[in-house]
Order: sequence, then structure tokens, then C-alpha cells
Amino acid sequence: MLERIKRVYVPMTETGFYILYCLREEMHGYNIGQQVRQMTGGEVTISPGTMYGTLSKMEKDGLIRFVREEEKRKLYVITELGWEVLEIELRRIERLYKNSKGEYIYGR
Amino acid sequence: MADRVLFRFMTVTDYEEEEQFLSEQHKEGWKLCKYLLPGIYFFDKCVPEDVVYRLDFEQAEKSEKTEYLQLYNDYGWEYLFDVNGFSYFRKRAGSEERELEIFSDNESRIEMVERVFKRRMIPLLIVFFSCVMPQLVIQFLNWNERGDPFAKGFVIFFTILFGLYLYLFIHCGRKIRRLKRKYMKE
Repeated sequence: MLERIKRVYVPMTETGFYILYCLREEMHGYNIGQQVRQMTGGEVTISPGTMYGTLSKMEKDGLIRFVREEEKRKLYVITELGWEVLEIELRRIERLYKNSKGEYIYGR
Repeated sequence: MADRVLFRFMTVTDYEEEEQFLSEQHKEGWKLCKYLLPGIYFFDKCVPEDVVYRLDFEQAEKSEKTEYLQLYNDYGWEYLFDVNGFSYFRKRAGSEERELEIFSDNESRIEMVERVFKRRMIPLLIVFFSCVMPQLVIQFLNWNERGDPFAKGFVIFFTILFGLYLYLFIHCGRKIRRLKRKYMKE
């Protein structure tokens, strides 16, 4: 994976993580916002300016790609590169979680 | 025609004050209907209401403007118009606080400040150093050495321009620093 992408996206911002995570299925911006709201019980909000900016940036960096347009809304989906980044991030979060519960990670 | 016209000079870095100003007007029963540079605001009479105004700066390319505005629309924002690269939005203040922001993290707020700096301040700096400054010196020499009668007028003109630019640079430069600092701390 490109070093630059890793440097920019790992660790991810909360906004970045949720957007990428949601885009395992194709979705448009407002959908993502709604889903994140539901998933987090309203604790995480992604406003339109932030949503638009993050989607554009991720598309430019090749983490997600534009699929098609539906009633003037652009649908995106995660790419292979996006998956790589997401998996690194998921492992990191899991480690944080385990460590926070007093568990140690052995090996590797 | 509009029911009320006000003049307020706002630089590109004063967008938070502008949002505040427009909100206050709406609360008094004046809703924004048109805005002309360098600072002429046109209002229509309306029912006084708590309405939040928000400005975004050059996020979408022209070809993507429709999708960009659709996203804002989905989030419940009313789009007014674009002036000088700024898109004007408003929303009734009834909903939750965080629904009234167009940016939900400081990173995107800082990015907006940086866009304003890159696309509005840097061109001004280039004009200043490649035109205003050299012209002032050249015209001053013409006037001083050759007694060129036109040169005096130019000297006055470029001196005024010089002063204006200097004021803008100092004002906007400080403002940008302050905005960035504020968002980094929050």
C-alpha cells in the first residue's frame, strides 16, 4: 500500500472511519449520515460540509469509488485499497479495546 | 425590490461574523434575499424567527454543484446563492444544536480556512508583489526624477491601493491565525 495513504489515513478520524465502514455497501452521503447516527445512538454526527469534503478526498485518494448517481445523489462504495486501510484500522481498534479491558496481545 | 438594504464591509475571513449578522437580521424580521460585493445586503420583510446562516467556501467543482447542493438539501439546508466562492445556506434553529452546523469536526473547519487562504489571499499577494508594489516605485521615480505630470496621479492611486492591500493583509492574516487557533483548541 502507498505509504502516503497510510500516513494520512492511519489512524483514522472518527468521521473517516464511519464513512469508510458504511461504504462496505454502496451508499450516498446523506444515507451514511443517517446510518452513523443510528449505529452510534446519535453520538456521532457527520455534517454535510464534512461529509462532502471527506467523500471527495477519499475518492481522490482511491479509498472509495463513485458507483452511480440516483436522483442527483452520488453513490459510493469502498475499493480494495479502502478495504486494506479499513482492516488496519479495525485491527488497531480491536487492540485498543482489548488493551483497555486489560487483555494483552501476544505473538505476531 | 428588497424591503431593506444594508451595507457591511466583510472580508473573506469574516464569514463567522457574517453568519451572526444575517442571523440577527432574520431574528428582527429581515431575511436575506440578495448579496452584492463589496457588502450590499438586500433583505425582505419576514416573520421574525431564529434562523441559522452558514457559509461554505468552494468545496464543490462546478460540475458537481448539483450533487453538492442536494446533499445540503437532504440535511435540511436551504441554499440561497453563491457570491465570491461562498455558498450561503440557512436553516431554522428549531432542531438540535449539532444539526445547525455544516462542519462536524475541526479538521474540516481548518480545511475551509485553508481554502480561503489559498484561493483568495494568495492571488491578492501575487497582485500586490507583482503589480502594486513595483508600480508604486516606478511611478514615484517618474514623478520625482522626470517631473511626469501624470505620474503624480498614479502615485496617489497606487499609494491608496497599497494602503488598502496592507490593511487587508494584516486584517485577514490575523483573522486566519485566530480562526485556525480556535479550531485547533476546540
